[in-house]
Amino acid sequence: MNIENTQSQMRKGVLEYCILSIIKRGEAYPGDIIDEMKNAGLQLLEGTLYPLLNRLKNAEILTYQWVESTSGPPRKYFRLTDKGSKFYTLLEATWQELATGVATVTRQNQEQTEDQFSSLS
Amino acid sequence: MKKVININFQGQVIAIEETAYEILRQYIESLQRYFSKEEGGDEIVNDIECRIAELFGNRLKHGINCITDEDVEAVISSIGHPKDFDTDYEEPEKPAASHAASEGRAEEAPQDDSEERRSLYRNANDQIIGGVCSGLAHYFKTDPIWMRLLFVLFFAALFWVYIVLWIVLKPKPLATNVSKRLYRNPNDRFLGGVCGGMAAYFRIDSWIPRVLFLLPLMFNLIGMMSFFPLNHFFDSLDFNWNFNMSIALVYIVLWIIIPEAKTVKQKLEMMGEEEYIRTIREKVSDNVSGTRNRPEANKPIYRATEKVQNKATGATVVNAVSEGNADNQDASSQEMPPEPPMTPQPPATPQPVNDPRDYAVNQQPQRSGCLNALIIFLKIIFFTIVGFFALVLVGVFIGILFAGAQFMSLKSLFIDPGYETNLLIIALSLVVLVPVISIITWIIRRVMKCKSRPAIGIVSFVLWFAGIALVGLLTKNVADKFVTESSKETIVSLDPVRSERLYVDMLPYADDYAEFKLGYGWDNEIDELPYTTVNADSLLFKKIHLYVKKSSDSLFHVRTIAASNGKDLRTAKADLAEFTYTLEQKDSLLLLPEFLSVPIAQGFRDQSITVEIAVPAGKTVEISDALSEYKNNEPPSVVRKRIRGYSRTHYREQTETAEGKRVTVVSYDSL
Repeated sequence: MNIENTQSQMRKGVLEYCILSIIKRGEAYPGDIIDEMKNAGLQLLEGTLYPLLNRLKNAEILTYQWVESTSGPPRKYFRLTDKGSKFYTLLEATWQELATGVATVTRQNQEQTEDQFSSLS
Repeated sequence: MKKVININFQGQVIAIEETAYEILRQYIESLQRYFSKEEGGDEIVNDIECRIAELFGNRLKHGINCITDEDVEAVISSIGHPKDFDTDYEEPEKPAASHAASEGRAEEAPQDDSEERRSLYRNANDQIIGGVCSGLAHYFKTDPIWMRLLFVLFFAALFWVYIVLWIVLKPKPLATNVSKRLYRNPNDRFLGGVCGGMAAYFRIDSWIPRVLFLLPLMFNLIGMMSFFPLNHFFDSLDFNWNFNMSIALVYIVLWIIIPEAKTVKQKLEMMGEEEYIRTIREKVSDNVSGTRNRPEANKPIYRATEKVQNKATGATVVNAVSEGNADNQDASSQEMPPEPPMTPQPPATPQPVNDPRDYAVNQQPQRSGCLNALIIFLKIIFFTIVGFFALVLVGVFIGILFAGAQFMSLKSLFIDPGYETNLLIIALSLVVLVPVISIITWIIRRVMKCKSRPAIGIVSFVLWFAGIALVGLLTKNVADKFVTESSKETIVSLDPVRSERLYVDMLPYADDYAEFKLGYGWDNEIDELPYTTVNADSLLFKKIHLYVKKSSDSLFHVRTIAASNGKDLRTAKADLAEFTYTLEQKDSLLLLPEFLSVPIAQGFRDQSITVEIAVPAGKTVEISDALSEYKNNEPPSVVRKRIRGYSRTHYREQTETAEGKRVTVVSYDSL
């Protein structure tokens, strides 16, 4: 098994959820999304973001409109469609399940690790 | 020291070092290659380009003079190299690759490649029906067109093979693995772009395949026209329809089985790379020279929509201001003089631009092969109907030209030389030639791919309408010549007839005379047409009416009433004075000339002559059978008014004389 592969698989799963979450708050253009992700400490390449947005748009989860920009070419501002809202609700429920489940299952290990860290320090 | 060039990148004028430009170009090319496999790949690359342009714009705003290598590297690392992208549309291949890598195989790439090659799939990316052919072509590394041709040619034998493969094989999106493919060329098309695509494939001018396709039809048309008799129009329309139809069928089949080059990548494959880049370079340099001096500041919204429509992915230079030609794609650097700086946008609310064209492009679903075929089929029906009508129209006009020559002999009967003749010639040429010329022009312009000029259509329609108006004027002129009816009465003085019986016979016309021929067997249809003398100085009319009535005294009386139409009474009277109709009397035999003769300059004015014979009571008139045609004619109304108490003569049955001559006898009882 390849550690990088597994890591990227883990990231990939939550990526869509995060992006949709940002867009749900209000219309956003890719630059905003990248900044917000980076501020949250989630590394995301723009080269990954654009195809993902494109695919979500093709799946009619997102839609966009062109907005003139003062600092360059016009920007695509994305927002959720009705279908996208439902999609997001389902993702949210799944994420809650996962988060609590994963937290429960991994708690003991984490506690051990934390103990190790604290003892080391 | 580095050279700095200005590029127009997504509508931004950006000063960039030449080396940095080179890095950027290569990077965008790598993106294009990477995303070419993905649906909407062009759009993704375009979005990324917009983003890069924005990042550059930000940098330049912060007081930096030009974009350097480092700036480009920073942007690239922010966006990422294709190999770092976490995209998963290559899922089936990636695990295989990583699998191979984990097993420590040395030849990773070839392994991957051959593995993909060994398995046969249906190609989900490129299908007309089920993608079997393109899957096979992918397997054998050939252009799918050959596979499709094979299946079309051996349809009967391979039909079940196709069905079985369709069921058995799994669909999979496959990337093209040939560098050059035959596509239909959307940029150079007359009907479906088949010929344009062939021309691009073989790198020849597109008129060559077009002419080859149309040659048999042309020969047939020429053959048809060279022996074009009007009366055989429908019988000997000897097209070699079979051959033409099979050529048309070949075209239709090619239309269906050759895909259209839609994306930049497909256009590249169609032409071969360097050729494509060359054409783009030409196009862009045209555009640049055309737009260089254009004031560009006052249309922000328009420019934005232009940029949106530019699905240009050809790396860098996108000409954002070119009007009407949104299809610029370029991969070459343009060393332009610095253009006037962009107008500062009103910093207030950003203006949303919803471009319906863009919406349509984005929302348009990928059409399946079958739907395409249906659309093609409808197009074919449309063009067949249009073509048929055009052909019929041209045929009818040519027919009219030929028939017109036949009718020209009649012209002298109705149309005066001089003013009216000129009018006729102008009207006819406008009505007949203008549509023919405009149809031919339209076809030629269509073939030559000229820009459509509505002015041509409008002008030719106006000219044609003027022709129709002239025809109307002429018709009125001609009709005016018949408004006034006039008649003139002449009493024929007879020597006293001694016998009880007056014999009436015909005096045949001694000289030769010619008929007005319409040609092709039409001459007998119009029996009121006059004849002409051989030296064409007089018209000979057969409209002679014989009328027999009872005399009021004991003598035979004969009078002639000439009648003619005219534009006014004066001309009608003048015409009547020129009539020549001289009866001859030989004792009890009265001879009526066969024809009424008038000078040819009069033309046809419905001239007629009525011979009235008054028979005294107890006496008889015997009319020869030669005059049977004349005696049954009814005189025109203007003449009937002159005959008091007119009623049709009631002739008795024809009787035979002792010599076997059939005659009609009329006598009145002495009451």
